[in-house]
Amino acid sequence: MPLPEFSGDQDFQLFLRKSLEFTRKIKGDVAALQRAVCDTFQLCKEEELLLVRQHLGIAQSPLEQCHSRSFQAEACFSRLCQELQSYHSSLASVRELLPAHADLVEQLQLDAANLSSNIQQQMEDLGLTTVTYPAESRGALPVFSSLFHHQVGSFFILADFQRFLETAYRALRHLAR
Amino acid sequence: SLGGTHGCASVAVGSPVVPLGSAVTASCTVRSELCRGLERGKIRIAWMLDSEPMAGSQQQGPGGTEVSNLTVPHFNRSQARLWCLVEWNGTRQRVGMAEIQAGYPPAKPSNLTCMLNLSDYGLTCQWERGADSLPTAVALKCATSRAQREATGEAVTGCTPRGGGRRCTVPRRLLQLYRKMEIWVSARNALGTAESERLCIDPMDVAKLDPPTLQSIRSVPYQTDCISVAWEAARTSAHMELQCELRYRSPEDLAWALVPGISGQARPTQHCGFLFGTQYHFQMRCRRPSPGGYWSEWSPGRNFTTHE
Repeated sequence: MPLPEFSGDQDFQLFLRKSLEFTRKIKGDVAALQRAVCDTFQLCKEEELLLVRQHLGIAQSPLEQCHSRSFQAEACFSRLCQELQSYHSSLASVRELLPAHADLVEQLQLDAANLSSNIQQQMEDLGLTTVTYPAESRGALPVFSSLFHHQVGSFFILADFQRFLETAYRALRHLAR
Repeated sequence: SLGGTHGCASVAVGSPVVPLGSAVTASCTVRSELCRGLERGKIRIAWMLDSEPMAGSQQQGPGGTEVSNLTVPHFNRSQARLWCLVEWNGTRQRVGMAEIQAGYPPAKPSNLTCMLNLSDYGLTCQWERGADSLPTAVALKCATSRAQREATGEAVTGCTPRGGGRRCTVPRRLLQLYRKMEIWVSARNALGTAESERLCIDPMDVAKLDPPTLQSIRSVPYQTDCISVAWEAARTSAHMELQCELRYRSPEDLAWALVPGISGQARPTQHCGFLFGTQYHFQMRCRRPSPGGYWSEWSPGRNFTTHE
């Protein structure tokens, strides 16, 4: 996977170390919420909910721009920014569902927004142009027809977010020296 | 002034708040037609600063008013009342008043330090302030760096100390984690504004960490003077880059021995040079590796006796 020319830049490496730590923090908080959904609603295994997922039409963010074979910094960073903003808003559904964890969800939303703007700022500092992608169906706040669907929807928002963070972490680690 | 906004008389001052020792100018305008019992043309205006008589000049003003002007060359009181009086029936009547304060522009706030609390991610900052001679509004200001502010239009936020105190907490939602922020204190009174030096810090770099936990301490086979310490970072810093140090001493030792520079999250750390058959007391603490990081408290202690 070719490294962009700026990857050796000291400020960029500091940005990467901070972003890796920030991503670890967010992953930890998402895992805590996944445990809360599992404990509260007995929704713990993804493989048991695939049919309902299909019915709900929940889109998964592909992030192929950040995968090794087709890695392209501008496209990947732009995608990360956009997806993080998208998760910032869709986490509102989780917040409604878990009032006892509202503070943690709010922290998570703030962290997602912060990480997104940190990446955005770093792209501007590097003179990279932002690529805009059509918003996924998850862009707008989903409307669930039942409480069960709301629970499952929230389960997948967190599961997809965790997967997204894993991909983001790998992409950032690839660039870090 | 007496009799409503434009009643019998009104006192106007150049500024109600002036630098200590500077000049104060005032004027008293008497409208005889609104002062029942005062005859036009026979009005004599006098001044008092608190209880001290002051001499002003008097002349006819527009619309049949009488105007007296007063200059106090060096106003040296922190606060005083300037009274306008007129002679009436052999007595002096107070017909108007202005309150004047004097002092200095705010002192420059100093020694600004900030600490991030990991339980709610609030950033608590504290600073020192000189004595304030006038009512002073103090606020902590915080924003992403100036260039970013101008590019993104992000607002300057912050917090206001209660009761004009010397510390306040910026809530998480106003912070930008993992990015440099400019933080400063602004003190403002009627005579000006003073700002502290600006901190340029990533809030995460000044996090006050919770102490780590010493999990277990074991001897190292075939190296009788060495021990291996297993430790774990606090849950609140499990995702962070850390810099930790271990200290130990035996009951006979007065001073602690210190093992600095332990990094990473939880790999067992090995140390040698211990006496055999001796009980040692161990503690550990951690901080952020960045400059300005705060040490956590020392962990709960753990005892270990080396083999004979």
